[in-house]
Amino acid sequence: MDKISITAASVVAEADLKSARLGQRFGRLDLSSQLALLAVAELKINFAEFANGRVGIVFAASAGSLATDVNFWNGRHGVGGPSPTLFAYTLPSAAVGEIAIHFKLTGPDLCFVGDGKNLLREAADLIRRGETDACVCIFCEAVTADCGKIISTAPVAAAHAVLVRRGEGIVELREFDRDFKALCALISQSKSAV
Amino acid sequence: MREPGVVIAGCGAISAVGCGLEPLLAALKNNSSGLRAMEKFSAPRFQSNIVGAVPENGWGERPREPGWAGQSVATTAREDARPTRTDNSAWWLATEALTQARAAAEEILQKISAARTGLVLSTTKANITALELISENRSCSETARRHLQANLLAEDLAQAFGAHGPVQTVSVACVSGLIAISQAAKIIQRGEADAVFVVGVDALSEFVVAGFTALKALDPLGCRPFDAARCGLSPGEAGAAIVLVRDDFAPAAKIKIRAFGGSNDANHLTGPSRDGSGLAQAIRVALAAAKFSPTEIDFVHAHGTGTPYNDAMESLALQTIFGDAGPPVSGAKGMLGHTLGAAGVIETICCVLAMQNNFLPGTPRLDSPADGTPKNLLREPRLDVRVKNILKLNTGFGGMNGALILSHG
Repeated sequence: MDKISITAASVVAEADLKSARLGQRFGRLDLSSQLALLAVAELKINFAEFANGRVGIVFAASAGSLATDVNFWNGRHGVGGPSPTLFAYTLPSAAVGEIAIHFKLTGPDLCFVGDGKNLLREAADLIRRGETDACVCIFCEAVTADCGKIISTAPVAAAHAVLVRRGEGIVELREFDRDFKALCALISQSKSAV
Repeated sequence: MREPGVVIAGCGAISAVGCGLEPLLAALKNNSSGLRAMEKFSAPRFQSNIVGAVPENGWGERPREPGWAGQSVATTAREDARPTRTDNSAWWLATEALTQARAAAEEILQKISAARTGLVLSTTKANITALELISENRSCSETARRHLQANLLAEDLAQAFGAHGPVQTVSVACVSGLIAISQAAKIIQRGEADAVFVVGVDALSEFVVAGFTALKALDPLGCRPFDAARCGLSPGEAGAAIVLVRDDFAPAAKIKIRAFGGSNDANHLTGPSRDGSGLAQAIRVALAAAKFSPTEIDFVHAHGTGTPYNDAMESLALQTIFGDAGPPVSGAKGMLGHTLGAAGVIETICCVLAMQNNFLPGTPRLDSPADGTPKNLLREPRLDVRVKNILKLNTGFGGMNGALILSHG
């Protein structure tokens, strides 16, 4: 069986968003979508090298879209009522849509709420089944102060991403019960050191 | 090595047409609609008060999940933490549907251990009602607050229903249900479990109705899928559950999860691609995975939201794949409303009921089909029809498309 490997990894935090250059729409995206989109951009992948429809997106959001849900619902008493723009981001998978639009990725999508433990397994499975040639995996944590109060969680804003594809890479995927964040950080650091 | 087959061993549902499969089957056969006006969603705050709400007498007395007091679900052990219909209708809907589905599959599940049983939850908003209550300093139980987080809702469902195997929480907009079914099948095919409970749930909430009002996406008269006069959707609520098992555990089960195809339009966050190419791609992937030609599909159960763009896009996708002589097509949202994360699961159950009872459902609330809609669009049910292969479609915000093929052995 062909090898399946991670060929790129990235880690971004809220502070990185200020210097992001990802088009005019970027500033209008919610926090989760901004973090996820920037993390994928930081992989520095030329997606044009893949055939149309052959790159999938496998995404997990630690708190779903709750941070944006709180923003949307807090705006219900404003002039004109709640924001239609924000409503579109009250889905945990909104970030997946934004990544697909920005990078023109028309392959299959998966979006989980919770930790990132399924990401590598599901990406490898999509590739092994022949549904994709590669997958972008992203784990996003977007918990604002308002959101954190409700779910008793400390605020956090970060995204971790990898590209998984068939063939040789930085890390071969043989077992999947690895800490996704730690793996991304490790690969990112080793790349920086090189 | 050949992957094991995955079959449907039991289903359960609670929706706008009532609690259980019997009212759902009756509504499908009678082509009746469960949509109705609800005062709390009236103007001026909301664009339409026509919704697919569970009827007042259709909720039952309280959640019937097993082992309520005996299980160690930490946050639900205390009496004051127990969810109510007011603060946690998502839990109520999910547990009702799963109780039914598990009972239907009881004999088969007795052969499968809890450790080999998984759960995949499909939802878009989990218990969003808790956010409404908290933001207005109204009473909200600890469990209701916990179930704002979809993954914790899934964990508690798994524990309460004895699913100690893999648990996943899928949230891919309105395609969530089909992807959850596909994920559950993959979990079984990979050998990680022998049975998986697929649960789809979303409850009606001011949050969601206000959001669709902001988008001006509601039909003030109630949704009319594929109709010339259609102008929007009608939100609905439902709990729906399907028990999937490895086929050798259920030799008598006849309906198989055959294949799934997914794609993304990569075009617009809230609108579908105008040419239907993304959905057509998902259908092609599913057909290829099933090793089917389009002519082997006997019936298409559409997404059919009733919005002008969705139904036009879906019609184009079907035209692309099937041409003018396509199979019969219908949709259920005129009956149930758009039940979001539950839609793929409950609409798949509609397909299962059609296969088991040899009929094709109609399209409730469709009066005059719009130009360009499928030529074989069914307004009324067609009875005494044996159906072997059904294509079930859903699409969603973010450009997501899903196509599931079910086969009747």
